[in-house]
Amino acid sequence: MAAKMAGSRDGELLRAPGEEEFVAAERKPSSYNPLHSFELARGDQRHYQQQYGDMYFLRLAKLKPAVEEVASEAWEGFQIAGDRVRRVERVLDVRQGELCWVVGTVYMDMPLKPNILDDISKDHWISAPPPREKFVSPNGLDQIMLEDESGRLRMIGTPLQSEMLVTGCIIAVMGTENANGDFEVIDMKVPDLPRQPQRWERDDAEAVTGSKNKTSEARTSGNRVALISGLSITGEEESGLLTEMLMEWLLGEAAGGDEQASTTQISRLIIAGNSLAEASPIPPRDELSTKKTSKRYGYDSSSYNSAPTTHLDNFLSTLLPSIPITLVPGASDPANVAMPQQPLHPALFPHSRAYANAPATTDGPCWFDPVTNPWEGDVDGWRLMGNGGQPIDDIFKYVHDDDRLVMMEHILRWRCGAPTAPDTLWCYPFQDKDQFVIEECPHVYFVGNQPKYDTIVIDGPAGQAVRLIALPKFSETGEVVLLDMDTLETEVVKFEAINEK
Amino acid sequence: MSPARRTKSSRQSAGGPSQATLNFGSSHSRVTKPTVARTGKEALKEKDVTTKKDPALVLQGVNDDNDVQAIASPDLAEPTTAEVAIIDQTEAEVAKPKTKEEQAAEKVSDAQLKRYWKAREDERKAPRVHQEGLSMNEKILRHFDLSSQYGPCIGIARMKRWHRAQNLNMNPPVEVLAVLLREQRKDNMRAERAHVDELMSSRFVID
Repeated sequence: MAAKMAGSRDGELLRAPGEEEFVAAERKPSSYNPLHSFELARGDQRHYQQQYGDMYFLRLAKLKPAVEEVASEAWEGFQIAGDRVRRVERVLDVRQGELCWVVGTVYMDMPLKPNILDDISKDHWISAPPPREKFVSPNGLDQIMLEDESGRLRMIGTPLQSEMLVTGCIIAVMGTENANGDFEVIDMKVPDLPRQPQRWERDDAEAVTGSKNKTSEARTSGNRVALISGLSITGEEESGLLTEMLMEWLLGEAAGGDEQASTTQISRLIIAGNSLAEASPIPPRDELSTKKTSKRYGYDSSSYNSAPTTHLDNFLSTLLPSIPITLVPGASDPANVAMPQQPLHPALFPHSRAYANAPATTDGPCWFDPVTNPWEGDVDGWRLMGNGGQPIDDIFKYVHDDDRLVMMEHILRWRCGAPTAPDTLWCYPFQDKDQFVIEECPHVYFVGNQPKYDTIVIDGPAGQAVRLIALPKFSETGEVVLLDMDTLETEVVKFEAINEK
Repeated sequence: MSPARRTKSSRQSAGGPSQATLNFGSSHSRVTKPTVARTGKEALKEKDVTTKKDPALVLQGVNDDNDVQAIASPDLAEPTTAEVAIIDQTEAEVAKPKTKEEQAAEKVSDAQLKRYWKAREDERKAPRVHQEGLSMNEKILRHFDLSSQYGPCIGIARMKRWHRAQNLNMNPPVEVLAVLLREQRKDNMRAERAHVDELMSSRFVID
C-alpha cells in the first residue's frame, strides 16, 4: 500500500503511539421537518369505490380561482377589432363568433394512448403490441380539448403548438368559436407558481404555536444534502461495487483528510426511488400459463429471492449510524403501484428498522424515514419536494420534447404534481382534496430516475425561485448530487469503476 | 340506463341440449325502488343468513338446468361495498362536531324550505314531470344531486358532498343541509345516497 499517513516518515511505520491528538470528525446535524401530505388512510378507512371524476372536479375547483386571477389580469379590457373579450362561466357557454375566455381542464385525445382494447387483442392474437414510448401521433391525429363539468370543447390554433399541454392541467384560453364548432385559441394562461414560503417559515410558526415540544435545534450552516436515485440493487455481488464505493465515501472511510472534511458537511441522504431493481416480478399471463406449476402447499419459497432487500438493508444499516436517510419509493420498489406510493414498510429492513418509527405511529420524524412518493418536507428550512420520476416519465409520453427540465418547470407552473393522473398514471381516487395540487411553491424540486443529470433555477411572477434537479440513475451513471443548503447550488460526485481489459 | 324490461319468455323445451334461459316471470320481478329499502343503520349492517348472495360473489351463471330468474335491484342482506363506503362516510360526517352551518341549518323552518323549493320550481317554465310521487324533501335532495357545479354525486354521501362544496367555498344552499339533517334525525338511510347512484349500480341476482 502506497498510502502515506499524515505524520509518518518513510521507514518509521513501526513505532510507539505519538502524543498527537486526532479529533474525530463530526457530521453536521440536519434539521428535518417532513410533511405528511401524501399519506393515505390505512386499512378499512381507504376506500376505492369512488370515481375519478371527483378528482378532476376537485382539481378544477382548486385551481380555477388562481387561473382566473392570472387571466383576468392579463386580458382585462383586451379588444380585437373593437370586440371586447368577455369571461364565460362554463365551457359550453361560448358562443360562435364571440370573443371570450374560459377556464377548463385540458384533455388530450390521442389514438395511441393505452387502450383497454389492446388487452383484449392480447387474448386473441397471443402477443401484445409492444408498449409505446410516446403517445403522440406523428401525423397530427391528436386532438386537444378543454373540459369542465358542462362538457368538452375542441381547441385548435397556433398557441397550442408552442405550449406544452397534457391531460389534466388547468388553463385559461381566450379565443372564439368558429363555424365548425372548434374553439380557435388566441392566447393561453396557466396558474403559474404558487406562493413560496420563506426559509424556516414552518419551523418558526410551529415554534410560536408550541405544537412541537422538541427543543429548538441549533440551525447550522454549511450543510449539504446528498440526493441519489436509481440504486437498482439486484443482490448480485458483481454489481455492488458502485454502492460499496458510495458507502465508503459517505462514511468518510474513503479518500484523504480534505475530502473527509467535506463529507462531514453532508447532513442527510435522500434516496429518490428505484432502490431495488425489481420488486418481485409477477410474470405476465402468457408466461404463467406456459410455466409448469407444481402442486405445493402454502408458500413456494423458491420463487422469492430475498437477496436484493437484504443488500439494500445492509446498505442502509451501514450508513444509518452515521447519516440520516429519507427513502422515497420508486416504480420498481415494493410499494403500491398507484400514486401516491406509500412508504416502504419497515418489515423489509430488519436491521435498519431499529432507526425507524414503528408503522402506523404518529411520532415525529425519525433518523431513518421511509416516506411517500411524491414527498415534500422541510430540510434545513428549505421546502423540498420530489418524487421517484413517474409523473415526469408519464408527461414525457405526451409531448414531442425530450427535455425533462422543461416538463418539471411546467409541472410547477401548472401547479399539478401529477397532471396525467388518473388518465394514464395509476392513482388513488381522491375524494376530498386532490393531493397533487401544489399549494406552496417548493425551493427545490427533485425528480429521480431521469436519463441524465440536469439542473436549472426557474423564477416566478412573485419572486419565487425554484431549483429543479433531475437526478440520474446511480446504477448507470454513478453520479450523486450534492445540494448546498445555504446557496442551493448543486455539485456532482461521480463514482466509476474502470474496467481494465 | 333503464331498468330491465319485464317480458314473459317461456323456456324452450325442444328436447335438445338443456340450456337454461332467463325467465323474467312477473311473480319474481319487481318494479319498486332499487337496493336499500329498509331504514336504520343497524339494519343495514346486520348480517342475516339468507339464500340471497352478493351478486359479485356468484360465479356460476346460466349453466344450471333450472329456470334462471333474474331479479333486478334485489334486497340484499349485506350491503355492497359501495354502500358500506357511503355509510362510513356518513358516520364520519355525523361524528364531527356541529359546524356553524349545521347550527344554522337546524334553525331552518318548513316555510323557508317551501319558499326555497318554490323558487327552484319557478325557475323552470314547466313543472317537473315524473316527480309526482316524491316528497318535497326528496325533490330538494335530487335537485342538489344534479347540480353539477358541486361535483359528481355518484360514490359520495350527500352529506359529505355538501360539506365538500362548503369547504371549496361554493356556498351550497343551507336548505339542503337542513333537509339532510331532518332525514338523518328520522334515521332514513336512503337519503344519504344519491338516487342516480342507486340507479347506476342496480344489480341482478341470478338464483
